[in-house]
Amino acid sequence: MPHPGRFCRGDQMGRGPYEKCGLLRDTGLAPNRVVEQTFEIPFPYKDIKQGKKTVRELVSKEMDIDVKLWYVPFGEMKGPLSRWNQLWRRVTKKVTIE
Amino acid sequence: MRFLKSLVFVCFVLPLLCQPVNAGTKKAKSIDELAARYDCSSCKECHEEIYEQWEKSAHSKSIFGLGGRTAATIGTTITRGLMTWPYSGVKKPKDVKLKHLMLCAKCHLPQLDEATDSVAREIVKAIFDLRSRNKKVRREAIKKLKKVSINCLICHQKKAIVHKWVDGPIRKDAVYGSTDGEHESEKYPVMKRSPIMGESILCGQCHGLGPNLELEEPSQCATAYGSYLFAYIPEGGHEKCQDCHMKRFNKGHSIPSYRDPDMAKIAIDFKVDTFSYHWRKTKAEGVIPLAVVKVEMINKTGHGIPDG
Repeated sequence: MPHPGRFCRGDQMGRGPYEKCGLLRDTGLAPNRVVEQTFEIPFPYKDIKQGKKTVRELVSKEMDIDVKLWYVPFGEMKGPLSRWNQLWRRVTKKVTIE
Repeated sequence: MRFLKSLVFVCFVLPLLCQPVNAGTKKAKSIDELAARYDCSSCKECHEEIYEQWEKSAHSKSIFGLGGRTAATIGTTITRGLMTWPYSGVKKPKDVKLKHLMLCAKCHLPQLDEATDSVAREIVKAIFDLRSRNKKVRREAIKKLKKVSINCLICHQKKAIVHKWVDGPIRKDAVYGSTDGEHESEKYPVMKRSPIMGESILCGQCHGLGPNLELEEPSQCATAYGSYLFAYIPEGGHEKCQDCHMKRFNKGHSIPSYRDPDMAKIAIDFKVDTFSYHWRKTKAEGVIPLAVVKVEMINKTGHGIPDG
């Protein structure tokens, strides 16, 4: 989202149309630009003692990963304003490992 | 005597006949008066489908807002902004004048510049009445705030001409659209062509370039038009606001945005790619079995997301 400055001075972000002025940063999606985000999710595993050794075992070799893209107009995922949130995309992928 | 009558006609009657149609309009003294001046209920008689589309739009609730959010934010502007600034002249909500409210009304109720300070105070009172514990008071306040909004006469009259030295002043007896001619309406008998009706600048007048530097105290709300001009166009974009928000899915005057599923679908190209591997992290933490999720998004709209 746009991070507007506060009265167009200093390094503080402004909040509300009465303070917002200019831009300090914009983490939103600019038109026609590719934005990539990468997430690393460990598979569940446990470490088991076998004699003197510790062996790492996978608890599950499969994961269903749910990726959701939300439009959050008022900045909260919980709370009274979250009722305006829109789920724009949902993609589920099954990932396996040997 | 005949010469004297002619002279009287020339001196008094001729100037009155030659006045521009907007001359001498007094400022509205109440919300009801402003609402009457910008009453567009008669438009529904001939433009029923368009009117019903507009009723569903955010424009039709531009002061109250979706779920009262706009009114709440105007309230916050007063309490956390105006009342805290040493040179605003506002110590309590009753001190708010027209020029203070124009920080928000410049875009949320442009016709407010044709009203007096008393209308500004009436709007402010209604906004603070929304916080009342009395249900009846809250209901009356909502009713009052919904009387005025961005309606037909804002885009199709007040904001229809931007370059007034080129295209002339706004005529109060006209509605502006795609052509010149007669218009079947007692109050607005003239139809005039607006050269910007299908252009992004029509929307850009309110949907933001950044800080409103022409105001004594600049406010900044939406910056979508700025993003359109300085990010979308340089990236090769060439569509107009109206192309996506009105024409593409036949949305017409409901002009939807993020809450509409069709708009959400075309707004973003969204790809998810996954793979897995064993990551040899460190000696201490060992080998981690890892899933990697790569999300690629491309904003296909004409402005930054989010923005407004």
